[in-house]
Amino acid sequence: MSELAAILTRAGLSNPEQREHWTMKWISTMDHKRIGILYLSTALVFFVIGGIEALLIRLQLAVPNNRLLQPDEYNVVFTMHGTTMIFLVAMPALFGLANYILPLQIGARDMAFPRLNAFSFWLVPFGGLLLHFSFLAGGAPGVGWFAYAPLSETPYSSQLGVDYWALALLVLGIGSVGTSINLIATVLTQRAPNMTLRRLPLFSWMIFVNSFLVLMALPVLNAALVMLLIDRLLGAHFFLPSSGGSAIMWQHIFWAFGHPEVYIVAIPAFGILSEVIPVFARKPIFGYEFVAGSTVAIAFLSLLVWAHHMFTVGLGHTVDLFFVASSMLIAIPTGVKVLAWSATLVGGRIRLDTPMLFCTAALLQFLLAGLTGVSLASAALDWQTKNSYYLVAHFHFVFVGLIVFAILGALHYWFPKMSGRLLSERLGKWTFWLMTAGFNMTFVIQHFLGLAGMPRRIFTYADLPGWAWMNMVSTIGAFLMAAAALLFVWNLVTSLLNGERAGDNPWRAWTLEWATTSPPPPGNFRSLPPIRSRRPLWDDANPDRPDPMVGTKWRAEVHVPEKNETAVAAFIVSESAFFAVLILAYLFYNAVPEAGVGAHSLNLAKTGAFTLCLLLSSITIWRSEVSLDRGNQRAMRLWLAATLVLGGIFLTGQGLEYGTLFEDGASLNGNLFATAFFTLTGFHGLHVCAGLIALAIVLGLARSADFKRHPPPALKAVALYWHFVDAVWVVVFSTVYFLPHLR
Amino acid sequence: MTTEQFLLRGWTWGGCSLPMGAAVLVCYLVAFGFQRRFSCFAAALGLTLLTLRSPINSLADGYLFSAHMLQHLILLLIVPALAMLSLPRSLSLAMRPRVLGHPLFGWIAGVGAMWLWHAPALCNAAVSSRSVHALQTVSLLAMGGLFWRQILAPRESERLVPPSAILYLFSACVTCSILGIIVTFSPVEVCSIYSAPPIDRLGLLQFVRAGWGMTPERDQQVGGLLMWVPMCLIYLSAIVVQIARWFAATEGPLAEKL
Repeated sequence: MSELAAILTRAGLSNPEQREHWTMKWISTMDHKRIGILYLSTALVFFVIGGIEALLIRLQLAVPNNRLLQPDEYNVVFTMHGTTMIFLVAMPALFGLANYILPLQIGARDMAFPRLNAFSFWLVPFGGLLLHFSFLAGGAPGVGWFAYAPLSETPYSSQLGVDYWALALLVLGIGSVGTSINLIATVLTQRAPNMTLRRLPLFSWMIFVNSFLVLMALPVLNAALVMLLIDRLLGAHFFLPSSGGSAIMWQHIFWAFGHPEVYIVAIPAFGILSEVIPVFARKPIFGYEFVAGSTVAIAFLSLLVWAHHMFTVGLGHTVDLFFVASSMLIAIPTGVKVLAWSATLVGGRIRLDTPMLFCTAALLQFLLAGLTGVSLASAALDWQTKNSYYLVAHFHFVFVGLIVFAILGALHYWFPKMSGRLLSERLGKWTFWLMTAGFNMTFVIQHFLGLAGMPRRIFTYADLPGWAWMNMVSTIGAFLMAAAALLFVWNLVTSLLNGERAGDNPWRAWTLEWATTSPPPPGNFRSLPPIRSRRPLWDDANPDRPDPMVGTKWRAEVHVPEKNETAVAAFIVSESAFFAVLILAYLFYNAVPEAGVGAHSLNLAKTGAFTLCLLLSSITIWRSEVSLDRGNQRAMRLWLAATLVLGGIFLTGQGLEYGTLFEDGASLNGNLFATAFFTLTGFHGLHVCAGLIALAIVLGLARSADFKRHPPPALKAVALYWHFVDAVWVVVFSTVYFLPHLR
Repeated sequence: MTTEQFLLRGWTWGGCSLPMGAAVLVCYLVAFGFQRRFSCFAAALGLTLLTLRSPINSLADGYLFSAHMLQHLILLLIVPALAMLSLPRSLSLAMRPRVLGHPLFGWIAGVGAMWLWHAPALCNAAVSSRSVHALQTVSLLAMGGLFWRQILAPRESERLVPPSAILYLFSACVTCSILGIIVTFSPVEVCSIYSAPPIDRLGLLQFVRAGWGMTPERDQQVGGLLMWVPMCLIYLSAIVVQIARWFAATEGPLAEKL
């Protein structure tokens, strides 16, 4: 007890007020470093939960014909394990690292939008609570992390678990999009002078590229979840084949998100390897340009190949062939990366400290994951191995072998910066060897289990030759990993309390986060070293032989756009992805008209008139911007008011249209036309409402004296969003109202 | 008929594309002479003639939607890009009025060409009418030229800077992919003339359907997939070139400022 008291006194937490103050400081924080640590701690908590679930799975599978878990319980544990590890561990951990490190690496004081940052973070525990609340609400989801329809639909999963699952993922998805918008805006607008885009450290560059991927992929999942929730809560049937829906549609949308998602968690891991390997090989990275450029290629390709998750669905050989070819192409840019990291190691003075150990293992394990990945990209092999443990082994080599190892490497690497104290190298090495042994024991053997025919997603298995001992080995490996995880937590706690002082730059690294104190002060930097290459601290320490200067040719490298407009533009990208899914779904469900209400029930002329109002509102808001630029604030307010009125007229028109349809007997849970129509136009209407509220707020602010003296950039940002809402309507109007007349 | 026989006999030599090709060749040689970049021009011209005269055209002429898509792909994306590369670096492609030089215009031309010519009515008309087909070919080449001008204009100053170029190419890729996805998975026919050709001009129908197994559904799928995957890979290659251009630049007008 006295020891605890001593620790509390040392930390300045001896009395209750101090403790309350400490708690409030963390809860109300908007500092990117604290938010980063909050993200990482949350991820650690869920890592323990997801890890316990993994151990339950492995215990159940340790021996044949086991009855430790009932089939339903197994399904729940297996669903929660997958969902937790991806959405509540991998993503928050990587966002946490990005949050903490990225602003430091680019020499920024904080993220572009600290409040948005705090909001995005708090959505993670909220989403996690929602997901786990399903245990109390009568049954957690048991439909897999992929929630394939129709299993995830009400007739087959009638408890609330799937609803909580979908709501939780929706909340987490919104948080991820928020963070990504913030990261993009931070990189584009908060960089230190001279930190040109081509001088970005690779971790920051990859987080930047990755954020675009999040912007495009997560909204696709959000659209799918919204459609699933409409099915489940409002009685529609997007994904119910029994009433005309399409279960394959769910798989398409899910994997259109799911495949990029793999890269969303892998690219930051690539970034970590690209930071750690050069520092511990004491050489600059080999082929910076290739590592950075291949990231962009990977991000693009990842959006193009989702159908390879669906070879066994039966899309036909034609479709399969194209996706075999495009999936295999991914091996090129990833191969470029592996080569670059290996070439960095060649001839380096390699120091095998714990961070480097984890990253080297990650590199080797990722190589194996890539090789099995290429084998799975071939449709013929995929047919044989997809529903076996071979696939389980493959993706765990990606998610654990690469990503978890890279995150552990990153935590060992950056912990001294975050805490000011070194982690114990002795414990770190124990952690590493236990983890590596455990991981390879668990998953190498699963390749063979899969080739021996053991199917995945089953709660138990018969005592077939060889299966029992292989599963036992796998289970023992899992417990070794658990021991490593406990050791790691012990290392964190003891080092935090009694670790050796780290100093500013314990690894003698070269990027800007090491140019400040450990931990960094609230504003991050007292002064920045000159930045003229990708390794400013090397240049600073070796003035006689600095890195060759990275020149500046393009204005885009140094241009700093307005941050609010940047954020709105990024938000528009994500919203476009969301609407693209809803519009494609509308087209798909209405390709062959059904009986009942349909496109013929819509009034083209009337809605055309209201559409004109909406288009006019784009002109009025443009006039409002022009008036503001000319300093005529009265005209600006008038044009803004006109925009509000026109937007209101449009919404009224939309309401009238809904009224007529309701009179015709249309309802959201009626036929597929009605479902798709109300979903699409409803979400557009919601966006119009949001735009109107934003416009009203700007109009309200515009009357204040502050606004009159220094007009803030809000109007331009809101106007950008308003133009987007109008542009979406043009597409929706053409698709829904106009297209049927062309037939 | 076997595939080999078809590949030998499927060539057509009539029409005005050969004399027009010769005329363009003469114009090019008169204007720019015979220089290093001529190889790009020869490739562009050769590809055009191959697309319009080879068995691909015989198939596209009422038999296979996918062959017609392949023609689109070559005429819209590959030929104009090669033609742009064949121009000498000093040539300015500045256009009047200035709005024609705006990236949005080039983007709409490139993406719009794909969407426009796949409206069912226009798609059918291009197959059944010679003159509409000729118009289609010319418009694809022209719109492709407008599209690529932003990326490959001979003068560096008239090209988009790499980040904008990547955005330009990527958004074009996504927009074409969306159309490709629609065509691939659409339960209805996009270009109905291919599923029930009014006349079997070359006596190929049986051969294509039974010999190659190209049912109308599979044909449309292949067409959609061509637009979705290989077309995106062309854009992606262009993006990779832009990345290389971005990172390869060593110095420039801003260098001394920083």
